Amino acid sequence: MKHSDRITAVVLIVAVALVAILAFLVHGTQGRTAVVRVDGQTVRTVDLTSTRAESMTIQGVLGPVDIATDGRGAIRVTHATCPDQVCVHTAPAKSPGEQIICVPNHLVIVIEGNRSDIDALAQ
Amino acid sequence: MKKVIVAVLALAILGVGTVALIRSRATPEPVTSTYFLMDTVLTIKTTGGDAAAINDHLHELALQVDAMTSYYQASSETSRLNASAGKGPIPVSEEYANLLRTALSVELTGGETTFDICVSPVSSLWGFTTKEFRIPSRAEIASALVYSQPDQLVVSGTSAQLKNPRARIDLGGIAKGYSLDVMEAYLRTVSPQPSQVIVDFGGNLLLYSAGRKTDWKVGIRDPRGDGIIGYVVSGDAFVATSGDYQRFFEKDGTRYCHIIDPSTGYPARLNQSATVITTLEPMHGAMGDALGKVFFCSDASRQQELYEETSKQGVVGVVLVNAAGARSTLGPITLVSTSDQ
Repeated sequence: MKHSDRITAVVLIVAVALVAILAFLVHGTQGRTAVVRVDGQTVRTVDLTSTRAESMTIQGVLGPVDIATDGRGAIRVTHATCPDQVCVHTAPAKSPGEQIICVPNHLVIVIEGNRSDIDALAQ
Repeated sequence: MKKVIVAVLALAILGVGTVALIRSRATPEPVTSTYFLMDTVLTIKTTGGDAAAINDHLHELALQVDAMTSYYQASSETSRLNASAGKGPIPVSEEYANLLRTALSVELTGGETTFDICVSPVSSLWGFTTKEFRIPSRAEIASALVYSQPDQLVVSGTSAQLKNPRARIDLGGIAKGYSLDVMEAYLRTVSPQPSQVIVDFGGNLLLYSAGRKTDWKVGIRDPRGDGIIGYVVSGDAFVATSGDYQRFFEKDGTRYCHIIDPSTGYPARLNQSATVITTLEPMHGAMGDALGKVFFCSDASRQQELYEETSKQGVVGVVLVNAAGARSTLGPITLVSTSDQ
């Protein structure tokens, strides 16, 4: 390989790398955070990339709601005082867009970010 | 010479990359709003147009449907009709009469009754209206079933009547789907048009786009595990799902779900979920919502017959997971499995 060819290669690689870095800075990383909202107000954001299981209690409209992460990217409601227990029955959320909802507590846990594989969830 | 070519090439890559990024940023961000009503959650995601105002107006429309249909609000038309059970016909609004007629038309689909807005006295025995769950005795169910039949409700013009003094109707199985009908009618008139609106109202979806999108990917919730069992590709549509996995109670290892089979008075047990996709035409949101319960309460051979009948009335396709967890589809749709979900 000639010296000038090497320069050509380096310049082109640097150009592509710059675009890639720019793309990362503009769009960032997505889908690794769970946001807990009560009556539409964000009361907690939870980092799902952490490998340590974490538990917390959030005050809902009706009473306390216990929430836990499993250290493997999923979050769930472990205990709530609502009469129907729909939130406790809901499978753990881990993919962007997935939600766990406790209607009596006006509480929503949603995984942030747009999932690229589906537009909407039939459930 | 070569240096010039390299420099031009590098600049071109940077230039095109930057322009592409700026353009991708310029597409409007969706506005997502969450509201609580009808004992469930309403999530609206609107892209383009006056998104925040559209979301609030759609919520307002749902509140109006709730005020008309609610089983719990004393001033609703449902409550007035229930309060006058056994006392002869009462006047109702034209809109309400039309909704009752849509419910009755689904009840008559295929002959066997698997959707019935009159079944509410039996649902109440199980505690699904008060959330104080219990297993009623056979005798209790048998006696309530007598006045929980579809023929209890008579609709004529803009008057309606419940014959037996103990008969009650509950539009909980159709009001959310109907709300989507009202929202869709409004969205058609909005200017400027939003490019996309996704409404999720307690298991009922409205997929609306200004450009009549044909490649919505709709994930189907896994009724037992996490995530989804796969997705189906759909055009703009109503998508109604009935399942046994969110509203249920368990006693002695048996799951009792909130959908009561009106022919037996017991919670339906043949399926884990049924998802019905209907075209964006008037009353198809309501129809799909009600038909979800019909498919949910039916066995495989009945489901096939039902599909053949309802595909002429706007049902595009149905995704089913039976009690054993077996998945199937009816109609020209394909369930694309996702292995890692």
